[in-house]
Amino acid sequence: MRTSGESVCYVDLTKGKCWREEVTPETISPYLGGSGFGWALVAKHLLPKVDPFAPENVVIINPGVLVGTRTLGSPKFTAITKFPTIASEDERFYVGSCTGGGRYFGIGLKQAGCDHLVILGQAEKPVTIHVTNGGATIEDASQFWGKGIEETSVELVRRFGDDTGVLAIGTAGENSVRSALAIVDRTNSLGRGGLGAILGAKRVKAIAAHGTGGIRVVDPTAFTRLSDELLERAVNWSRRAHWVKLGLAAGWSTFKHTQNPGIWPKERWDELYGEEKRLETLNRVIACASCPLSCRLRWVIPDGEFAGEPGLGSPYSKSATSGQLLGVEDDRKMIHLVTEANSLTGIDYYTTARLIDFVTRMYDQGRLTKEDTGGFELHRDYSTYQQLFRMTAVREGFGDVLADGWMRLKKEFGLDPQEYWYAGICKGMDFIYDARPSKFHPLMMTFFTRPRPHHGGSHTRTNSRNKTIEEIREQVEHWGLPKGTVERIFTEVAYSGKFNVGRYTRYAEDLMRVKNALGLCTIYTYQALIFADDMARLYSAATGDDLSAGDLVQHGERISNVAKVVNIREGFTRADDRPPEVWFRPMEAPEGRIEMRDYYETKALTKDDVARILDDYYDERGWDLQSGVPTRQRLEDLNLAELASEGVG
Amino acid sequence: MRASTGRLVIWAERCRGCRSCQLACSFTKLGEFNPGRSCISLDRDLETERTAPMIKPLCCDLCDGEPACVDACKYGVIEFQPGPKRLIDVRM
Repeated sequence: MRTSGESVCYVDLTKGKCWREEVTPETISPYLGGSGFGWALVAKHLLPKVDPFAPENVVIINPGVLVGTRTLGSPKFTAITKFPTIASEDERFYVGSCTGGGRYFGIGLKQAGCDHLVILGQAEKPVTIHVTNGGATIEDASQFWGKGIEETSVELVRRFGDDTGVLAIGTAGENSVRSALAIVDRTNSLGRGGLGAILGAKRVKAIAAHGTGGIRVVDPTAFTRLSDELLERAVNWSRRAHWVKLGLAAGWSTFKHTQNPGIWPKERWDELYGEEKRLETLNRVIACASCPLSCRLRWVIPDGEFAGEPGLGSPYSKSATSGQLLGVEDDRKMIHLVTEANSLTGIDYYTTARLIDFVTRMYDQGRLTKEDTGGFELHRDYSTYQQLFRMTAVREGFGDVLADGWMRLKKEFGLDPQEYWYAGICKGMDFIYDARPSKFHPLMMTFFTRPRPHHGGSHTRTNSRNKTIEEIREQVEHWGLPKGTVERIFTEVAYSGKFNVGRYTRYAEDLMRVKNALGLCTIYTYQALIFADDMARLYSAATGDDLSAGDLVQHGERISNVAKVVNIREGFTRADDRPPEVWFRPMEAPEGRIEMRDYYETKALTKDDVARILDDYYDERGWDLQSGVPTRQRLEDLNLAELASEGVG
Repeated sequence: MRASTGRLVIWAERCRGCRSCQLACSFTKLGEFNPGRSCISLDRDLETERTAPMIKPLCCDLCDGEPACVDACKYGVIEFQPGPKRLIDVRM
């Protein structure tokens, strides 16, 4: 049992009221705290089937349990809401969690004494939420509405002080662009799938957080000893120097293989968007709180049309992949679009670039016409792309269609998102990775098994290429699973290869829930710099709840089940956990045909193979194989009888 | 006996803004993580998001010759050189 509870700060925008409630350790412990308990709050406060843009939707923001401590990369917080992405033809919407890091915002919430910020209702006019020692207050934000993310964030930091964390939305969020996200502390994005649009509908332009409260751990000696050990592990990591130099772009040597859209020869992509090219725009690498690696970037475009333009965030995978998809060879042009997305509009760059790729090619083929686009010609050139980004953010002309995303294209023009040629789409959202060049490993599976079709931080060793089965198994053996379970995962089956992706994914997802509840960055997990038993020791020293790795994973399972049940209320079943069609269509790349194969590339996977892998996933979860719904027995075993009694199981 | 004098050299250009120095300082002095109450403030340039630790001279006692901030910073921003005088030296 934890020795302390957590505080929940409520903000009711409709009533204009804010208050704080204390929650006992007994209530928090089964969910670990942080986003784990955040999911319990969602299950309580979010009624099924409400429209995501309605006042009845909630946003719950939860800094991780370890946020604000000095340990190995613990900056993360989670926002949970019903996202506005149209997830199905009958217009259902998933309830999901998204995570972000940063230097100030998570710590600011914790120091202000808000372990959870629950935003209810809808304001009449634009507001900011100001969270500080006395709790939250709602303040007028008329002067910020219509302004960009950068301008709003900087002004709020100037107003409240340098240690103020700011989460802000841009003009796309204000205009209910369904993919719009938020930007935190100017450097970290949060909430693909439309968190920014949900905040916009609530008329919340920004949340500013700072405080002076201390953050304590129960066993300071053990916590410090373990944290020092973990930090040394990271400092001595053989790739650290490269990472410190390039930030997230240090992953290019893997990325150029696993994220390749297969249009350009790899050498050409390397030349146009690779590490050497990246250094031309790189100004500085910025770390999140307590991170010894650092992956955020400040860039300055050195020359050309956008010479001197600075930006913050991480333009690397966004510009490189989209550059190839859209056929833009000049990286400076793509980085400029990232800059506008991060600093002004808050539009989701991945989604918008892919929608533009789709509709411009459909226009080329005559499947969209000038009549469909209101007279706007969809040429495959940079000027058109620029205009479409801008039109989408303000819902102007054909941009209004793109602002509603993939499902509207299907409904209005019969363009099926499953026809799209890169990465794939599930529940109305495009994935950032494609399982053909990436290979079918557990992270790929989480894109369609998680309620929100994004990985959420489910990275493990298999995220990197060419790891030996011993390296992969070593990480799993730290998860504290019964021996029989580990054997099940590593029993070779014809439809999955040397390890069983379905069974493995269940635990990778549960561990993701743990990492998010604790606030630990996923980068350290997939680089094998922290293991589940390290997390258990950290959590125990911080909270006084003496848990093993196996206990943690079981708590993660409980959180996963709550998230699943909340989405079953929304009508989601196995029929929605569908791998995208494009994964089964070989990619015709310049270096040859790329099929979706298992991690060790022993075979091309068929739909039947993936269906059997999905069976194993549900079986390992103790969920019904036909419906994908947790069984009553499983929910009761997890002490979730209350959810079982809702008729879900 | 450990030194209570010496020189703290701040290599400001190396700072990544991770706040580990502030977290370590407050934890050592107060037994809690509390960046605002540490003996280090973080100078933040909003134009560039460049940061640099600024030691509060009346607060910092050099941790009896083993400054917690030095060990906590993994980017080599803060160095400690034992010596007869108490000095803080900022190098950009």
